[in-house]
Amino acid sequence: MEVVTHVLPEGADLPSAKASLAEHLDVRADRATSGTTTFYDTFDGRLHAAGLTLRHSGTELVLLDRETGATLASAAAPAAKRLFDRDLPEALRARLAPEMEMRALLPVAKVRTHRLPLAVLNGDAKTVVRLELTTADNGTRGRVTATAVRGYEAEIERVRATLAETLALPEATVPLVDEAIAAAGGDPAGTSSKLALTLDPDEPASLAAATVFGRLLEVIDLNLPGTLDDVDSEFLHDLRVAIRRTRSLQRQFKGVYPERLQHFRDEFKRLQAVTGDLRDLDVYLLDFPELRDSLPEKMRADLDPLRDVLEQRRVKALTATRRALRAQRTGDALAEWNEFVTSRRPSDRTVSDLASHRITRVYRKMVKMGRAIDDDSPAYDLHELRKVGKELRYLLEFFASLYPPEIVKPFVKTLKGLQDQLGRFQDREVQANALRDLAPAVKGHPFTLMAMGVLIERFMQEEIAARAEFADRFAVFASKAQRDVVKEHFG
Amino acid sequence: MSQVLATYNIKGGVGKTSAAVNLATLAAHGGDQTLLWDLDPQGASTYLFRVKPKIKGGGAKLVRGKTDADGQIKGTDTEGLDLLPADFSYRHMDLALDGAKTNRLDRVIKPLSEYRYVFLDCPPSISLVSENVFEAADALLVPIIPATLSSRTLDQLHEVLNSDAKVLGFFSMADRRKKLHRELMEELGREHDVLETVIPNSADVERMGAERAALVDFAPRSRAARAYADLWTEIRERL
Repeated sequence: MEVVTHVLPEGADLPSAKASLAEHLDVRADRATSGTTTFYDTFDGRLHAAGLTLRHSGTELVLLDRETGATLASAAAPAAKRLFDRDLPEALRARLAPEMEMRALLPVAKVRTHRLPLAVLNGDAKTVVRLELTTADNGTRGRVTATAVRGYEAEIERVRATLAETLALPEATVPLVDEAIAAAGGDPAGTSSKLALTLDPDEPASLAAATVFGRLLEVIDLNLPGTLDDVDSEFLHDLRVAIRRTRSLQRQFKGVYPERLQHFRDEFKRLQAVTGDLRDLDVYLLDFPELRDSLPEKMRADLDPLRDVLEQRRVKALTATRRALRAQRTGDALAEWNEFVTSRRPSDRTVSDLASHRITRVYRKMVKMGRAIDDDSPAYDLHELRKVGKELRYLLEFFASLYPPEIVKPFVKTLKGLQDQLGRFQDREVQANALRDLAPAVKGHPFTLMAMGVLIERFMQEEIAARAEFADRFAVFASKAQRDVVKEHFG
Repeated sequence: MSQVLATYNIKGGVGKTSAAVNLATLAAHGGDQTLLWDLDPQGASTYLFRVKPKIKGGGAKLVRGKTDADGQIKGTDTEGLDLLPADFSYRHMDLALDGAKTNRLDRVIKPLSEYRYVFLDCPPSISLVSENVFEAADALLVPIIPATLSSRTLDQLHEVLNSDAKVLGFFSMADRRKKLHRELMEELGREHDVLETVIPNSADVERMGAERAALVDFAPRSRAARAYADLWTEIRERL
């Protein structure tokens, strides 16, 4: 049903707003209610990006279209501090699970609101448009929302004209949720862990690197509290990606830092190591439902003891990771690193010169490594190639703004095609090995071991299939056309 | 798929419309999208919802699929409750249904699957309309006045019933102070499967015509309104 929202005059409360509407429309008021409205989104604003608003008021969770304010789904639910897709009522889960994935919904704004539902009546005293007046205690202006009633769609035009022309109320352009989050000091779009950097090609490499390192430190800082509070698995993941990217750039730009870099490289290596077990266990647990479903139906329950083992191990890994991240040593290392990169003198080399040089070198290295791989090469060679591919991927991400997008984007796409294939190959091997390693932990459960055996067999088959794709993917990546592009734009 | 519930009795004036309007309103209050189709040419429930008793092109075109039911539906004052209005031409509905190879009421209802519940407020009598209703409905909600003659209602209904629809009888307009009512309810309750909730004979129910609203909306705490709420709970348990 069509919905229009207009903004009430500054300082208008429910009785005054109702009185001015009643001068022009035949309205009947329902009971006014007051309550707390809580808005939810993921840390990185996935609902915002998907054009959705999730709001809790009274005893109900309501999913709205951000643009129109139309209700998409609603269900009774308590106001929780955190909601995973599995915690949501069915009516909402179907719509939200694909957007949220592994992320948790968190309260992003809380507002005390006062609402007055009104019915616009025709000559038979029948409701032909529903109105709702809303005011909030957070200093934002109130709103009036008009919703069409089925079979009386023409009436909403009349109401819209009254609101816009007779009463001169401007149409609301910013959703209430955005105003509420902004009033609470947040960003309605959420907190991104993406790099999104714009660099100056003529800038000294050391200063540009400081910008990249600075942003990566920011991402680490942003994701640290959620990691320590164990809000959802994505905080740790984004934190680790930032650490890995930092290490990559440290390697690629090591020429810029003649002294003391090794200390920081060791520290970041340690940070990656102390968070590794927890991330591995997160991945196993995230994949668990899919693995379970991939088994023949009567074997599915057999796998459950494995989940118990994974969960127990995760509790231990979380404790260890928390201890390491909270340690004085970690705080000091991050602060000193920040100090180190921002206090560098400008280097002689420009960033575009150094970046182009590194991109060309790493690309050529990959081409050389890939060409040496044939059907008999050990898995190790493919893993090594993937590692170098990651370095190239990060370089292209850090320095994307230095090159024309029509060059960088297809380059990244070709690289990604190869990396995904190498990743599938390696993941299957890692998964098969991980299940083997876990076998002794479930030795009292023979049926669980059998189910794990079925999975290992499948992983090995998929590993073979992924390997078979390598030659085709690599051929595109190392083609003459791609080599020429690299030579022309990065050489 | 919607769940189709028809309020039906061969006799008129037994509280069919009152049951349909109040139960449908309760269903919508519970958060379920609900539609009430007023099949009675007199249009009593349409009147109660303050909607004009008008179907574009009349009932014949609607059941023959010439008029799109979707475009004829009206929202009511209750959120989540819509109405497919009555039309005076429904009095000739039998003609429109005669000779059809398929169940034409069913064909109108089926595409309206956005509704969790579809209530049919049926005209009294045994006719092609009621036969179509029996087939389309998942359950027949049959109000029974505890009077000697109406006790035959359930027997007669079972004689003509041509479908698997559940028959859920309940006492309507009952007066527990009357000895005859108490005795008949006891007797019928032994012989037939009748729901436990009893809708009392009440001036509040009669006020619906003056208020032009569902009793459960304008007097939700009245005895009769509470009885409808209990009845709705009991019906859902039986579905």
